[in-house]
Amino acid sequence: MTAPGAVWVYAERHGRAFRPVSLEILGHARSVADALGTALVALTIGPGEGPARELARYGADDVVVVDHPLLTRYDTKLFTELLEQELRPAAPSVLLLGATRDGQDLAGRLAVRLRTGLTAHVTSLEVNSEKQLVGWVPGFGGGIEAGVVCPHHRPAIVTVRPGVFPTPTPSSGPTGTVRLVHPALDSTAFGSRRVAYDPKGTTVDLTRSDVLVVGGRGTDGEFGRLQKLAHLIGAEVGATRVATDAGWVERERMIGQTGVVTHPKVAVILGASGAVQFTVGIEKAGFVIAVNRDPDAPIFESADLGIVGDLGPIVDRLVEQLGEA
Amino acid sequence: MRIVVCLKVVPRPEEVRVNLEAKTLERSGVRSVINPADLNALETALALRDRHGGRVIVLSMGPPNFEPYLRVAIAVGADEAVLLSDRAFGGADTLATSYTLAQGVGAVGDVDLVLCGDESSDGGTSQVPQGLAEWLGMSQATYVDQLEVTKDGALRARRVLEDGSETLEVPLPAVVSVLGGANEVRFIDYDRWAMAQAASVRVIDSAALAADPAFLGLKGSPTVVAGLREVRKPGRRREVVALEPEVAATRLAEELRRLGVSHG
Amino acid sequence: MPPTETKPLVWKDELWEDLCRTTNAAACFQCGSCTATCPLAEKGQLNVRQVMRLGAFGDGGSDLGAGAPGLWACTTCAQCNVGCPRGVDIVGVIRHLRARGWKRNEVPPGLRPLLWAEFQDGNPYRLPPSQRTAWMRGLADSAKGSSDGATTVLYVGCTASYDPRAQRTARAIARVLTAAEVPFRLLGDKEVCCGETPRALGVDGLFRELSRRNAETLSQVGATRVVTVSPHCFDALKAGLGADVEVMHYSQLLDELLSGGKLKVSGYRPGVLTYHDPCYLGRQHGVYEPPRRLLEAAGAKLVEMPRSRRWALCCGGGGGNMWRESDAEGRLADLRVAEARETGASALATACPFCVTCFAGAQGPSHYEIVDVAEVVARAAGVPA
Repeated sequence: MTAPGAVWVYAERHGRAFRPVSLEILGHARSVADALGTALVALTIGPGEGPARELARYGADDVVVVDHPLLTRYDTKLFTELLEQELRPAAPSVLLLGATRDGQDLAGRLAVRLRTGLTAHVTSLEVNSEKQLVGWVPGFGGGIEAGVVCPHHRPAIVTVRPGVFPTPTPSSGPTGTVRLVHPALDSTAFGSRRVAYDPKGTTVDLTRSDVLVVGGRGTDGEFGRLQKLAHLIGAEVGATRVATDAGWVERERMIGQTGVVTHPKVAVILGASGAVQFTVGIEKAGFVIAVNRDPDAPIFESADLGIVGDLGPIVDRLVEQLGEA
Repeated sequence: MRIVVCLKVVPRPEEVRVNLEAKTLERSGVRSVINPADLNALETALALRDRHGGRVIVLSMGPPNFEPYLRVAIAVGADEAVLLSDRAFGGADTLATSYTLAQGVGAVGDVDLVLCGDESSDGGTSQVPQGLAEWLGMSQATYVDQLEVTKDGALRARRVLEDGSETLEVPLPAVVSVLGGANEVRFIDYDRWAMAQAASVRVIDSAALAADPAFLGLKGSPTVVAGLREVRKPGRRREVVALEPEVAATRLAEELRRLGVSHG
Repeated sequence: MPPTETKPLVWKDELWEDLCRTTNAAACFQCGSCTATCPLAEKGQLNVRQVMRLGAFGDGGSDLGAGAPGLWACTTCAQCNVGCPRGVDIVGVIRHLRARGWKRNEVPPGLRPLLWAEFQDGNPYRLPPSQRTAWMRGLADSAKGSSDGATTVLYVGCTASYDPRAQRTARAIARVLTAAEVPFRLLGDKEVCCGETPRALGVDGLFRELSRRNAETLSQVGATRVVTVSPHCFDALKAGLGADVEVMHYSQLLDELLSGGKLKVSGYRPGVLTYHDPCYLGRQHGVYEPPRRLLEAAGAKLVEMPRSRRWALCCGGGGGNMWRESDAEGRLADLRVAEARETGASALATACPFCVTCFAGAQGPSHYEIVDVAEVVARAAGVPA
């Protein structure tokens, strides 16, 4: 059994593997545990020993696996109980979970079950000079961050967003010991009954893309070069109403007040004039680049970098340059 | 069905200013609205009431100036409003907030379903609904975009997950967090406006709530804000240059590299 | 028109009486002139006579509900009002029936969030009121009006406040008024939407609430005259404000300044233009000549489209349609721009931000220039946007 006061990470199962965010957290948690001078424990709930061995390669001193064939899907009531059973005797100082939908579902319930503090959606996590864990959380549409601490209650529970920490490299062999727990349970232990499950189809979702390449009237329908550019920079392709009306791309790609409102890190707007019904769909973008032939095009008022020029030759040359890099 | 909808009044994002020294937010002169996802929860509640009959009670925790917003909810269609208001409730983190709201649900009494927005736009921890469910000992379903009550009186909730959706059946009573944007919220019925302005909002303070002070307000909050920092991004740079294609392409490639998106 | 299913129609006295209380629908004798003149009838998008009939029966059920594209496709251009031999305010009936839709919560998607935006942000774009003054960027301080006892307010309106193209119109007007030494003031971020869209959609309560807010602000600044950028604001403020405030469209004021010698225009020849009468300026308020005089004074040679003045073809933007998606086929704006091209004019001029937006977005073989009257006047007056 691990000594009390350790840093625990809940590794959320996703089929036979783990959610990337869980591994990201585990990778970072090593430095947190070291800064606090305690051990690092990874805990997972799900069937089979194989995944457990996989989890043991990510730097934890101990791995706890709650294993039962029925544990193939998340259930609030059951998982809260199972976690509580492991955490109370172990008395960790910190519990970290990925801020996934199920992770949040679990964390919020567990925090009240244990009458402890929960800091959610942190975008950075550090140990301060007083050996306190500080989680920075965004608020007010991202304009402000608050540094939150949990001075007295234990464990301090923190959920972390995906992509905050880098993907760790696993070691070739297990770094920690694996302890298997086999709870006695049957289907009555579940609080919910799943009546349907629908995996997401491959429809376009512009709201999830960090980079967008958007085409308007000025493309004259030639979205091929936009698609090439998009492919090279890992972007999704969006369009203005004019472009979708003309049938150049599907309606799902239309950005704007009556279409999709996006918040990419980078948006490259090509050949769009920039009417407000369109710009409300990209105004939350981190950085906006616009290319338009017309120096008076309103889009330049909504852009960080505006290039006045012919988008066809510009995009073709850009694709060449990026392709060569 | 007796349905409680928890509403929070939040400042509009673009208007908030931070007082970095006092570690507080400047709220004076700032426009406020009902948290958007809570309106989606209200719409879900009203639609259920339309179908199954019952009452929709809106519940909020906050200062007296939250009352006009509760009246807007009544004008939209809610049957009654309850405001938990007391200095003792102030400074609450999610543990204390969910505890206080749970006491409020108890005060409303005989509640079958509690709906909340999944997240609030002002520092949404999206934890209150889960905490509420635990305090109340009710089942829960989070990030729900579709909700129905079956013929046998169970709740069917479709949860939207990262890679698809699952539909769960949970027993009533339950707490459900409704996904922001899950539905189109019906607008104010102006024929109800006058009645809504005149309606009496039931205000409950900490004495009337008979709550355990250990879980109220700042004192009842395990987490504390130790610091605040502004990360407001500046307005658009609006740098505009006219360039020949080759030069333009080079400039764009540089910029894309700088932004970290030059490889897929 | 495909024949509709035969369904029993239910006559509900109280709905019919309510309709007659607020409109003169009782005068309708189902002649169908409305349908004959409606620009949306040709492609079968709206059968006005049928809507009147269903409304009269009191309960058209789903035929008038959210699933009734016709009722909500109406742009409130009021061509039907002009054609009606009985003087029925058909647009008023449409608004009344839309109000019924709201009461039943049976409205097309996309409109509810629009009303919430108007209610919470005071504009349909969900943009903050603090950004309402962004249109003034680039304007010299001397052209921003003054609060020193000026009793004329330049009411910018939401589109000219937030849409970059329309912002140029607002700046052009501000510069022209300044050049003509007309004292005016602005309401800044206290200005809220005139409510034209809630009104057109049948949500009178919100329209009255927005009118009340503007009336209060106007009274606080001692305004006796309001000049609008948009004909829609012109119409809505006329309907929503009390009698103690005179409401004008900018073309009327500039025309007065021109004939009074206070505004000098010369040195700019915009060429051959055709002028489109915006529905909310021309047909609905009879303002046909002032914009034409302004264009001619600026040196334009005007040619008329066959459908002009009272019979001008709507751009498709009114009646809440600026905020909704419609089929790409058969858009009114496309038809109108085609008509403009056929006159041989080098550009289509108009005096409404909705029209400019709709025409600028029209499909066509190649780019056709859309010009705004205020911008033409500003250039001719030596104070270009």
